[in-house]
Amino acid sequence: MELEAEKTLIQAESSDGPNSNSSDLVARVRKLLFRQMLVGIRDGRFFLGTFHCMDKQGNIILQDAVEYHSTRRSSTSPMEQRCLGLILLPSSCRSSCHVGCYIEEQLSLLKL
Amino acid sequence: MADDAAAEVSVPERTSIPSGDDSVWADVSPLFESACKDLQDGELIHGDNFNLFAAMSALEIMDPKMDSGIVCKYYSIDEAIENGAAPVPISINKTVDVQCTIDIMDHLLACEATWHKGHSLAQTVFSCIYLLRPDRTSSHALLHSYCRVIRATCKAVISVVSDARTHEEDDLFTMAYGLPLDGDGDEKCLSLLNAVEETISRQLRACKAPSSRRRVLEEMEPLQTNLDLEEGYCKALLCRLRFRKHFYHVLTSMRRPQGRGLELARKHIATCISELDCIYRSSDFLRSSACGTSEDGIEDRTTASGCQPIGFDASLNCRLSAPTPPRAIKILSWKKAIEYFVKLLHDLDIICSYSLDPSLEGVLQFVVQFQKSQPDLVARAHLQLLLVQDGKLYGRESMFAVITRAAVLPEVAKNHDVQKNEYFVQLGQLVINTLKILCTNAAWQRRKLGKMLQDWRVIYVQLELAFRKEFGEVSSIPEDENVCVKIFQHILLWVEEQTYWIASRFLILGFELELYSPSEYCMVYWYIYVVLIKLSEKTHLKMAAKNDTGKRKGKKKRDSPKDVAREYRIPPAVLFLQCQICLAEGLTMMLAALRNEHMILQSRNPFNTEQERFFQHFELLQKACIPDHVSFHSFRESTTYARLSTLVMYNYFKDAQRIAKEAKSSFSNDPHKLAELRKIEQVAEHNSIALHVISRVGALDPTLKASFEFSHHPYFATAVVKRS
Repeated sequence: MELEAEKTLIQAESSDGPNSNSSDLVARVRKLLFRQMLVGIRDGRFFLGTFHCMDKQGNIILQDAVEYHSTRRSSTSPMEQRCLGLILLPSSCRSSCHVGCYIEEQLSLLKL
Repeated sequence: MADDAAAEVSVPERTSIPSGDDSVWADVSPLFESACKDLQDGELIHGDNFNLFAAMSALEIMDPKMDSGIVCKYYSIDEAIENGAAPVPISINKTVDVQCTIDIMDHLLACEATWHKGHSLAQTVFSCIYLLRPDRTSSHALLHSYCRVIRATCKAVISVVSDARTHEEDDLFTMAYGLPLDGDGDEKCLSLLNAVEETISRQLRACKAPSSRRRVLEEMEPLQTNLDLEEGYCKALLCRLRFRKHFYHVLTSMRRPQGRGLELARKHIATCISELDCIYRSSDFLRSSACGTSEDGIEDRTTASGCQPIGFDASLNCRLSAPTPPRAIKILSWKKAIEYFVKLLHDLDIICSYSLDPSLEGVLQFVVQFQKSQPDLVARAHLQLLLVQDGKLYGRESMFAVITRAAVLPEVAKNHDVQKNEYFVQLGQLVINTLKILCTNAAWQRRKLGKMLQDWRVIYVQLELAFRKEFGEVSSIPEDENVCVKIFQHILLWVEEQTYWIASRFLILGFELELYSPSEYCMVYWYIYVVLIKLSEKTHLKMAAKNDTGKRKGKKKRDSPKDVAREYRIPPAVLFLQCQICLAEGLTMMLAALRNEHMILQSRNPFNTEQERFFQHFELLQKACIPDHVSFHSFRESTTYARLSTLVMYNYFKDAQRIAKEAKSSFSNDPHKLAELRKIEQVAEHNSIALHVISRVGALDPTLKASFEFSHHPYFATAVVKRS
């Protein structure tokens, strides 16, 4: 059943032209589009937004992003937030990347 | 449940960011890493709503130009304060405390000047941590009162600029989001300041008193602990406090309606200027008693002592501005800041000494003259608010009264009912807008004036139609006693005159803004020439109408033609225009002749034709038909046959000189007009000579070329002949 589901996915993608040879992995990532994504970067800030785009280098674009930053250097400080809109997070500064999902889905997402 | 999942995912415990109901954060990094390997080069994973062009506008995180959240030194203002970035008191040692307070005052002055020059408040004045947390300084009377008056002053200045509502300089000036401008009790800032000033004055008296009296005054605690430096520090502080106090008074006096506070403002301005002089001279003392400052870069220092001030960090509140970080700016040096304030005060003084001339022509002349000194935003906003208040001139003259006076109508006309006519109301609004625009910076002003030409043309047409509907053809009505007819006729003529005046300002500002290349001077002077001819025609007609009204009242007998001819003199305003017309015509023909005979240094423009450039420059004028029946072809016709030999015979420059000389006698009590006429004479003389030289020698020496520079007049060029 999963295989059929994947086949339909691949067939659906074949209408995108150059994406006709996209792998199962790319398809799974594509399913995550428009989901809430939480990206942490090296200086300790977090960005929460809608997953909008990703490229081969792993650069991510989030839509309606909110920045969370702590007000003190220490780890147990309260966080402040501010809205940024459309942002690009280069893969080089990314330290973590999480997607909001239901517990049942979590396993399938984690499995490679 | 979230906690269970949290243990599995690698989001650190400190994150309290919720992932929504019934959901958890799942780590997708491994999935992403593998999926990326499967992507083709240039392939993107995106949804249907994706637009590459829109995606290019995304803010790039960790790019210093786009990401204002990059952590510099401190994570927040509070962290900075906790780490001692803005201590209160600044030092236990009272001398050091006083030194540092003075440095803070000086740096704030430099920041304030930088802000006035067109940067954001957040990056300048409010880079001061003491200002960002108003309550912290309450135990330090000096710092507290100073911060209060700074906040109140900034608020007053923002109020003036935002009330002027010209929206130039990108509104950067008035942006104050999230900044604590409305300090509790800031209105009482002056009483606090006075109290502190009083204390320091007594401390100054105490340290200067002979030792016999000192015992009595010993109950007075000195300002700081080093007795040798007491006098110097007291004086340095006093002039700074007094400057702030009087500057605040200047702002509040000038804001009083209908110009009632102008005279008082002048007194405060004079005090401010003298206190600034004291402040400037205090730098020798402050530098010598400061601790270890090198001579390097002393000119750039933002304080009198040369020391770095404590308690400033521009990066702390950059999150308060827009998502993108503001451009890095350089705070003006302390010396340049003082120069700025001296100039600002001089400009404000000019505004305060203005006689509130009720004649519109007088107002326009004043504004144009004022703008020649290139005043900054704060001064210009004050001028605009003085001129236009509550839709009236100076808040007291109705626009209709102003217009009827400008149109040379008798006083009775100003109360006529026709002012309720919608077109007269619109005309009044148009005049108000014109006055506001004339107070803006040159670039903005020129753009708006150009767009306004259409509005002036339209109102003329509308008024003419309304007149015809009421009274029939304009020309068929004899000059009779019907005031309403008179009003319409005079105002129509005046509207035309104003339109041409605005057109001439539009063209002339192009020179100030260096919008014309030398190869275009010929067409620009030609257009100025045709516009000025129309302007002088209308002005002359308007003044003749005035003479007529005057004459008819006085004389009963018919004048003999001889008397009329003898009595009639060309009005000085028209003479003034006429010498400019001659100059413009002379320059047009000279440039055309030089071009026709290939003697001009000019760069070739391969990108567009002369006709295209003509239309680009004069599009707004052409569209508004100012003047009518004028086109590129008329320009070509006038200039194709220009030759140096004919120009020498009919010398426009000599005419300009003659008329300018004649005009000078009528303007003997107007120094600005006299100066202008002198410049016109100089340009005419030099160009006349250049014309002779090049026409005689040019034929023999082909290396002789002419170039044009603005050495004697800001917009009438002088020909310079040299060998190429």
